[in-house]
Amino acid sequence: MGEVELSCRAYVKMYLHACLFPRCGINGLLLSSGSAGGAVCVTDCVPLLHSHLPLAPISQLALTQVDVWCSQTQQRIVGYYQANACVSDSSPTPCALKIADKISEQFDNAVLLMLDGGKMTADYRLPPIVVYERRDSRWLLKDKHTIMLRHWEETQAIAGQMLESGDQALLVDFDSHLDDITKDWTNQKLNSKIAELASPANGNI
Amino acid sequence: GVCCQKKKMATISEMYDVGWEEMRDKLRKWREDNCRNSEQIVDVGEELISEHASKLGDDVWIIYEQVMIAALDCSRDDLALTCLQELRKQFPDSHRVKRLSGMRLEALERYDEANKHYEAILQDDPTNTAARKRKISILKAQGKNAEAIRELNEYLEQFVGDQEAWHELSELYINEHDYGKAAFCLEELMMTNPHNHLYCEQYAEVKYTQGGLENLELSRKYFAQALRLNNRNMRALFGLYMSASHIAASPKVSAKVKKDNMKYASWAATQINRAYKLAGRGTKESKCSMKAVEEMLESMQITMS
Repeated sequence: MGEVELSCRAYVKMYLHACLFPRCGINGLLLSSGSAGGAVCVTDCVPLLHSHLPLAPISQLALTQVDVWCSQTQQRIVGYYQANACVSDSSPTPCALKIADKISEQFDNAVLLMLDGGKMTADYRLPPIVVYERRDSRWLLKDKHTIMLRHWEETQAIAGQMLESGDQALLVDFDSHLDDITKDWTNQKLNSKIAELASPANGNI
Repeated sequence: GVCCQKKKMATISEMYDVGWEEMRDKLRKWREDNCRNSEQIVDVGEELISEHASKLGDDVWIIYEQVMIAALDCSRDDLALTCLQELRKQFPDSHRVKRLSGMRLEALERYDEANKHYEAILQDDPTNTAARKRKISILKAQGKNAEAIRELNEYLEQFVGDQEAWHELSELYINEHDYGKAAFCLEELMMTNPHNHLYCEQYAEVKYTQGGLENLELSRKYFAQALRLNNRNMRALFGLYMSASHIAASPKVSAKVKKDNMKYASWAATQINRAYKLAGRGTKESKCSMKAVEEMLESMQITMS
């Protein structure tokens, strides 16, 4: 099928989400501000949960709220990401498939992205992700050559740098938002920080 | 997991202008509150141990234990080993220290060796619950959920009052999508902890997930109960809104039930809006979520009627 492009902002926030809750299963939604058709550009993500991933009410609530936010901000939900608690297992769980199915009802080229916890350290050169797409009603591995991360080395460097600085503590997922609703699950502050680090004026590659 | 090792330029006592007594007291508070803020514990504890060990008296041993466990969490095997060696010297035959050795082996993913440690403890002392629980943790770490569930059930037959174990079991069942059994565990917890709003709310979430009118009505009741116990529980508030809305929208309910649930949903919506307005007064960013919630509540009402 088509190409998928993952932006620096989306990757770094997913990465920090996984780092913030290293012992938990975590998940979130992948968003795009691009137009439908052609390559799917994942420009942002919304971290959702770090507990009780299979339970329905909060997932439903989060999906609805993010949906509304997307229509207010000209974005759309184009995929789903998850990292399992058990680092050695990066296969999609039934709940991942269920949510991804729901998303693909609204968006044909939806992607399901699993983070591979075992490959997230700096000594791995490649992005620690496994991407699935829907074909014949099943989620199948996507051809690696159709997955693009522009400026991957820069992205990886930014993610590493932010982890060193402890910036994952700034990340707010939907779970944390429900614990304290003054916290912003759109993560504007973090977005700004990422943009700053990615700016060519910073002398990054 | 992933861990970050911060480069320390100044000492903790320099950075925060605290003396060793405050550092010691902080560690005690974290012990008492059972906090798992491992990086902080390592930062404070490592400095306390290396600079002030002689001043700590008998407290030093429990601090070694606390710092050791935190160090394992942060992949600081060097520090963990230092602490462990001090403890081994002081308490050569202790089961408690043997368990710590086992935990270190777990952190290094040497599970077979860790299991041998725990089995040795249990040979000596079959009632050692800590060792039994560590064995179950190993099963979890290896992704052997079905076995962990079996062992935990056996454990609970003997130690039926262990709240932590019941909760652990409920989490395992949820991850295996066995909602009926998860509900059973939460029922046990609610019985012994009737004032705990979190158990009510989690039970309600499980019931909601099971679906069907009867379960939805139960979920609504328990979301409401959670709110009675803690009126700030946002999950319970949203849960009440959603369950009541779904019941009201069901073609199978009587006019009275429909009317009652619309009332509950409407009340919940008001409370949600109020909470978000209050929250939105603080910062510009939270206005995004406030607007999203308002629109969401409106859109759900439209589909409901």
